[in-house]
Formats: sequence, C-alpha cells, structure tokens
Amino acid sequence: MSISTASAADSAVATNPPPPVRRNRRPLHAREWWLGALLVLPGMALAVTFKLVPLIRGVITSFESSSGFGDSSFAGWDNFTRMFDDPVVLASFRNALLVVATLPVWIVLPLVLSVLIHQRAPGWKFFRAVYFVPYTIAPIVVGIMFRQILSPDGPINALLRAVGLEPLAIEWLNGQNSALFSLVAVALWSFFGLGVMTYLAGLATIPEEVLEAAYLDGAGFWRRLFSVVVPMLRPTVAYWSVLCASGVLIWLFPLIYALTQGGPGNATMLPEYLVFLTTFQFLDRGYGSAIGIALFVFVAVLSIFSVRHMFKEGTRKPR
Amino acid sequence: MNRRHSAQIGRYLLVFALVVVAVAALYPLLFTVVSSLKTQTGFARDPLGLPAGITFENYVEAFKRMNMPRLLLNSIITTVGGLVLSVLAAMLIAYTVTKLRFRGGKLVFLFIIITLTIPSQAIIYPLYQTVLDLGMSGEYQGLILAYAAFGLPLGTYQLAGYFQQVPDELIEAARVDGAGHFTILFRLLAPIATPALAALAIFNFVWMWNDLLLPLVIMGGSDSKTLMVGVSLLSGQYDVSVPLVSAGLIVALLPVLIIYLVFQRQLVSGALAGSGR
Repeated sequence: MSISTASAADSAVATNPPPPVRRNRRPLHAREWWLGALLVLPGMALAVTFKLVPLIRGVITSFESSSGFGDSSFAGWDNFTRMFDDPVVLASFRNALLVVATLPVWIVLPLVLSVLIHQRAPGWKFFRAVYFVPYTIAPIVVGIMFRQILSPDGPINALLRAVGLEPLAIEWLNGQNSALFSLVAVALWSFFGLGVMTYLAGLATIPEEVLEAAYLDGAGFWRRLFSVVVPMLRPTVAYWSVLCASGVLIWLFPLIYALTQGGPGNATMLPEYLVFLTTFQFLDRGYGSAIGIALFVFVAVLSIFSVRHMFKEGTRKPR
Repeated sequence: MNRRHSAQIGRYLLVFALVVVAVAALYPLLFTVVSSLKTQTGFARDPLGLPAGITFENYVEAFKRMNMPRLLLNSIITTVGGLVLSVLAAMLIAYTVTKLRFRGGKLVFLFIIITLTIPSQAIIYPLYQTVLDLGMSGEYQGLILAYAAFGLPLGTYQLAGYFQQVPDELIEAARVDGAGHFTILFRLLAPIATPALAALAIFNFVWMWNDLLLPLVIMGGSDSKTLMVGVSLLSGQYDVSVPLVSAGLIVALLPVLIIYLVFQRQLVSGALAGSGR
C-alpha cells in the first residue's frame, strides 16, 4: 500500500518524461519481471508460510503465558526472564556449549579419513562407500541401535572387559558425565560419513600433481596434510565447519529422543529437545516458544557465516 | 630399498586404520542384523554371539505389529512429494535469479537462503499451529509442503550455482531458436545440472525419509504417520524384545540403504561436481 501511495505522489510531482533509453527497454523488462515473479512465487509462498510466518508467530507466542490447552495472555518478557532462573534451561545451553566445544573433532576426523582415502589406498572406493553408510541410517534408528549396543551388558562393554579394560565398562547412557559424551559420540558416528564425502568432493578439485610433487619432495603424511591439503581445501573446510557449527545443535533431537530423553537429570538436555518437551509434554507453549526463539538466535549467529558465503557464491557472476 | 620398506609399512598402517574405521562404521549395523535373526531365548542366552539358528519370525512379527505396509506407503508419499516439490520450486527460483532480468532477484535469493537459519526445532510449535490452521495436521500435504519449504534453501543455492556457470550466450541462442522458458529450463539447464539434481535428490531423500521431528509433530499418531514415527514408538516400549526391535530397525533403514547403494556413483559425482565452484 505504501508503495502505490509513493509512486502516485512521484508521478504527480514528476514533470520530465523518463529518458528514452529506459522507455525502449521497458516492455521487455516488465514482461520478464512478471514472469520471474510468477516463477519465484511457489518457493516464496513455501518459505513465507512454513518458515517466516511460524518464526513471527513464535516470537509473538514467546510473549504469551499459557498452560495446558487453555487460552493465553500477554506476559511481556516473563518467559525470557524466567529462562535465566531456570536450571533446566541453563543446563541445556551449557550442554549446547559443551557440544559445540567438540567441533574440532567433527572437523578434523573426517578430514584425516578423507585424505587417507584420497591417496588411492587399496580398496578406497569400498571404504568411501562404507563410511557413508551410517549417514544413510535414520538418526532415530541409530539411536535405538546404540541403546542396545551401549547397554551395560552390550557389545561395547563386553569388548572392554575382553581386552582387560574392565574399569572402563560403565553405564554409558546413565552416567552424569558419560551420557553427553556417549550422545556426541553416537552423533559423530552418524554424521562423519557426510564430512568424508564433503571433503572428498573438495579434494577432487586439488590437482594431483601438487600432491605428487609434495610427496616426491619427501613431505610426510602430516606435513602434506597441513602444508598442502588444508590450505588448498580451505573453502571446503570452512563450509563443513559452519555446517557442523550450526548443525551439531539441531541434529541431536532423534538421538536424545531414543537414547537418553535428556537424562540422567539434565545431563543430555539440549535446547532443541527442551523446546519439544516444554511445548508438547508440559504443554507450556509460551515458554517453549521463548526457548525456541533463544535457540533460533543461537543457531542464526552460528550460521550467518554460511549464509553470507552462500549468498556471495550464488550471486557471483562467472565472467 | 629402505625407503621402499617404510613406504610398504606405511601402506599397511594406512589400510589398517581404514579397516578399523570401517569396522566401527559397520559393526552396529551387523549387530542389529544378527540380533534380528535370533529368537527371544536365543538372544537372552547369548546376546553377542552369532545366532544358533536363524529365524525370520521377528520380521514377520514386526511387520504385523507396526503395520509396516501402511507406514512404508506414508513415508514414500511424503518423501517423494516433498522431494519433487522442493526441487521444482528451487529450480524455478534458481532460473529466475540467475537467468532472467528480474529486479529483486538477489533479494529473493537472499531471503530464501536466510530461511536456512530457521531450524524446525526452534519454531516447532508455531509451525504445528500453522499447519493446523491450514487444516493439514495429520494430512500428507501438511508434511509434504513443510518438507518442500525446509529443503528449499540448499536446493536453490546448489542449482543457482550450477545455472550460473551456463553461459548466457547459450541461452540467448536457444531463445533465438524459439525455445520458451520452460524448454530452456527443463531441456537445456536441467540436463547440464543433472549431477547437482541427482545429489540433491539423494540428500533430500535421505533427510526426508529419516526425519523424525516434523512427522512426529505434524502427523502425530494419525494413520498417516511415517515409518520413523512408527519406529520411534518402539523406543518407548520396553516390553518389546531386542530381536523384534532390531527387525523393525532393519526394515526401516533398508530402503535408504538400497537407494544409496544403487545411486552411489551419482551421489559422489554430484558432490564432486558441486564442489567444483
């Protein structure tokens, strides 16, 4: 509405006709503009309806107080101030930071593996295929699978006992400290194949002669990795790093759901699970939405780099 | 000679390391398969060893208990629907942004990419509310549209990157030859972007088929619930035996695994091609 008012005011004031050049190209532009608008409409409608509108509604709901299925009332900043005194919320964000602290492992482990495969090791195609298999398994399936494997009498503990590491055979999913570690380890098992695949894609862009030259110059594996491969692979490493940074926090829901349900205590409570729990189990929509908005801000800050990168890449003209 | 020796040893070490990781990657799967082939008592007697006798009883029971055919159908409908819709919408936007003189194209592109920062986990209640208001809660179209929206940013980004590399002259030439926009998009650009489309299709398939949160919230306990929601119910039932659960898990993971093994080459070449930029 404001746009049409402005243009009406403009045309009332405007006295000179537009320059002839613009006038000539105008019909073509207009037609292409309408076509473009029509083509982007489905995607825009999807993004607005299922992302932007829910986000706005989430912000609105986060300022409301409600319980059960009843009506809600305006609560101001109550939900947000409540979070700072809520030990569960604080624990969940502290756990989130702990998970983020494991990022170096997420970034380096697949890198090392992909470089090992990339040197055309015997059977490298087989290993490449095998490493991606865990990623194709649904996280909820992974979670239930590992609940059986990590159980006190499961294969992991049996293995530890068999090799004489009895003291390490603990209740992986039920310890105050071990539970979060187990959760992250299972998540890493589930996602490292995606990292290997991503790095391999990046490695394929490095000319083979470069690596060969480094090898002939007598550079060892680690030397080649850090002095040749990593610098040349910087865009891929950056891409995978930001993907992990924003991902580790939102990939864990099905695993928490199947493995620990946030426990023991709040040891594996993470914001994404807490949002679900607060909203659908405790039926506290306003508070759940507030935690959701906090999570959104947390993730948005981490993923703003990838968005910037993607926008630059996507709008770059090749010539 | 010495150098060759140490190179040889290095090679053994390399393969050894790769094998260790491969075993770690496959063992959980193997354990689950083996468990699913044991009888209840057989598992209780020897939970870790190989089964004394192989039984497929658990698969029959899991199929019946979980109403597997219906769950599989639901998953196929929502996954394929979400996949096709998100890729189509992404193609249209990518084409407009890179190949049309469309003012505001950058803004559209930026908006779509920015929605990547909105994870479903953070807005799950208002998303549910929106689906409910549209009358699509518990309906296929609710989940399909949500999947399409969440698959859009990455798809648009990947395809835009691909279309961008196609020289404008090629498109001008096609236009002079009388090709319309849809001919250009589907007959000229799509074939060029086949690797990206294949990779996109497989990644989206894996994600949508395996996702739990969206179907859990949108489908709830309805008859349209997906396979993963059905599987998640297994995690709460402690009366269900490990062999039975294992059989259910194997059925749930098999479709994606098969598709992955069949389309593996396309996935790799797609990932390779996508990173060429």
